[in-house]
Parts: sequence; C-alpha cells; structure tokens
Amino acid sequence: MEKLGRILRIGPTDNTSNERTPRENLRIIPPAARDSFLPYSRVQPGIRMGENDLTRLAPQMPRAEGDAIEMSGQILDDIGQPLRHALVEIWNANKYGKYAHDLDGYDAPLDPNFSGLGRTLTDEEGRYKFWTIDPGCYLARPDINRWRPKHIHLSIRGGASRLITQMYFKDAEHNDTDPMRIVMAEDFHLNIGKKYETPDIDVERGFKFDIVIRGKNSTFFE
Amino acid sequence: MNDTINPTNRLPLTNEDTVGPYYPISYDHDDGMDLTKSTIGQQFGAKGDKIILRGRYLDKDGNGAHGALIEFWQANAQGVFRTEDTEASPEIDPHFDGYTRHRTVTGGFQLKTIKSGTQLGRAPNITLTLFSDGISRLVTQVFFENEVSNETDPVLLSLPQDKREKLIARLVGEDDDNVPIYDIEIILAGKGETPFFDDFLALGWRD
Repeated sequence: MEKLGRILRIGPTDNTSNERTPRENLRIIPPAARDSFLPYSRVQPGIRMGENDLTRLAPQMPRAEGDAIEMSGQILDDIGQPLRHALVEIWNANKYGKYAHDLDGYDAPLDPNFSGLGRTLTDEEGRYKFWTIDPGCYLARPDINRWRPKHIHLSIRGGASRLITQMYFKDAEHNDTDPMRIVMAEDFHLNIGKKYETPDIDVERGFKFDIVIRGKNSTFFE
Repeated sequence: MNDTINPTNRLPLTNEDTVGPYYPISYDHDDGMDLTKSTIGQQFGAKGDKIILRGRYLDKDGNGAHGALIEFWQANAQGVFRTEDTEASPEIDPHFDGYTRHRTVTGGFQLKTIKSGTQLGRAPNITLTLFSDGISRLVTQVFFENEVSNETDPVLLSLPQDKREKLIARLVGEDDDNVPIYDIEIILAGKGETPFFDDFLALGWRD
C-alpha cells in the first residue's frame, strides 16, 4: 500500500482555510530527497537597537496605549539544543484589536504610537525577549459573530529551523471558538504563554513562551 | 497535531499556526527575488544558467492566494546546497545562497535564479514553502520542462504520472537578455490540486 502523509484539517468557520487547504493527503518525501526539503538561511538581517520594544516607536517617543507586557522565552530544538542567533519576528494587534497593516479593515482605532512590529535575534542560549502591548481581540467573522482571541504572531528562522506560530493567553475570551485552536486540539496548551510577575521592570506582567522547533537532526519518520 | 505514536524522549513541538493575513510587509525588505546577484553594485554573480520562474498560487476557486509568504530554496549550479555542513566545500559558490523569501500581494511571484545542478540523481528543482492565512505551511518542489533527469528524479518518481505534471514548470519564452522563462501554477485545493509534501507520516500509520 502506498504510504501517504497527513490530511490537513480545515479550521472550522475559517473561509480562507476552506479555500486554501489541500484536500488530498500530503505526500511522503522520498528518503533520497529528504535533505533537499530543508531550507537553510545563512544570512540574518541587521537588527537595530530597540526593535524588540514595540511599546515605543523610538526611545524618546510616548508609550503606546494599553498594558505593556513582556514576552520572553527560549527556543530549542526537539532534542533540547538552543537555537542560537535565530531571527524572531513578532507582530500583534493594538489594544483595540486593530493591526496597522494596510489590509486590516477592522473598525477599531489605530494607535499612532504602535506599529505592532518587532524583531530580535536569539542569544547564545536561544533566548529572546520583547516588550509589546497586550493585544485586543477582534471580530473576524461579523456574519456569525466569531472573534479571534488575543494572540501574538511569531516567525522564527535560523539555520535549518523554521516555524511560524502564535502565542495565546490562558483562558482568554474567545479561545474556545478559534479555528486554529480547534485544529490544535489537545496540543493547544503548548501555544499558551505562562504568566509571570514583573515587579522590577516597566511592564504590567510577563509571559514566558518557550518554543520547540523540529531541528535538522530530527528523523522524519518516527 | 505534532504527535507521533512512537514514544521518544523528544520535547513536544510547539504547534505551527497560520501566519494570518497581516505578516509585516516591511520585513521582506531584507529579502530579494534575484538570486543571481549576491552583491548589488558589484560584478559578482552566481555561476550557472540563469532562469526566471514565474508562478501563481491559486485557491480552490481559482483565485490568487493573496497576502502570502513564499520561501525559496535550491542547490547551486553544482547541485550543492549551502548549509553549515557544506560551507567549506570547494563546490560552494560564494556568490549564491539558494535561499530567499517573498511576500506576495496577489499570490503570484517571479524569481530570477540559476538552474540548480544535478547531483545524487536529482533533477534541477526549487523547494517552495508557502505560509498563508488559513493554513500553516505547505511545501512542494518545482521542476523544469525538458530535463532528461526528470525521468529519474526520486520526488517525481514517487508520484503518479498525473501528479508529476503538476510540478513541472513550462518553458514559455525568454526575456530581453535571453533568459528562459518558466511558468507554474500551484493549485492549493480542489480540482487539479498540486501535490504537497509532508515530513512525517499520517497519524496512526506505522512501518
């Protein structure tokens, strides 16, 4: 019998997911071609000072509206080795659930002091840290009153590791009806930031989000 | 959905999630769609035969997969991939990386590159990874019309004949500098669906 890969799940109530998710099984990569499917990004962009602080557009500028939060964590591969010098990009909605992105048509206020974009490189131990604004949730499907819960997008790229994901918040409003959360099922807890106190720094609270990415030494067929 | 049924001591993987519709446009300023020139303003360039690959990602209704992030990865003219393991190899072209990414507004793209060499029985190919709203990650490889090595390539041979055709870019002409232009349509879902590749087996299957 021919070995086939996964059937991807379609996110319930997500129109784009319905339009773009392949209906057929994924194909298993032949062993002889395995390495060719693993992109390796050798060069990282230059990062300016302060690009990991989204709460201000520049050091002398006013703070964005809303609660400032810290998001920090460590990025490891699945055998526990740190992912060093990886590019971490984040983007999130403002306090009102509005993105500054050209294409966001959601009817909520823009904050002129919040771009919602940040990036950094991980250190020798694979650690990263951002300050941002606690994001709002937004109405994704007005026709059925389906909201996206608050979340922070992350893109990680370093060496042979690549992951695009989102961090969610424990027990947040609308978590349970989110299409991607439903697709993650019992693994959803892996994408929730763990809250910590931040008494000594100028943010309201922190969220620890450790990330595990399949590394280049992983076996494909476990 | 990262679990496998084989118990190991590996750490549980963070779930992939959709990139959503608002990946920051400004972030792809560091990337480029011409892999033939490594340093702007210098005469250095990648070794190999230049080509242009034009592609379109289409959804199940035939609309462009707008607002997506596409990543490209290929070997150099010698057929060697540039990674930390090969960096010191004499077959590495110092003026060719083989990796770039692009945020597409319409679902279309145009990449100027060189045709990768054949090594280890592989036909020239480019790995395309798509991140977009509604999906996590979709990976496939694109090949080129009229390559004899297509007949023996393990990825193409792993597919039924009608699916092989979906991965072969067609030669449609050349640009003003006589660089050949290849076109490919990548159909994400439904009729004429393009094959996409997985890196682990369907849940529940075991060798």
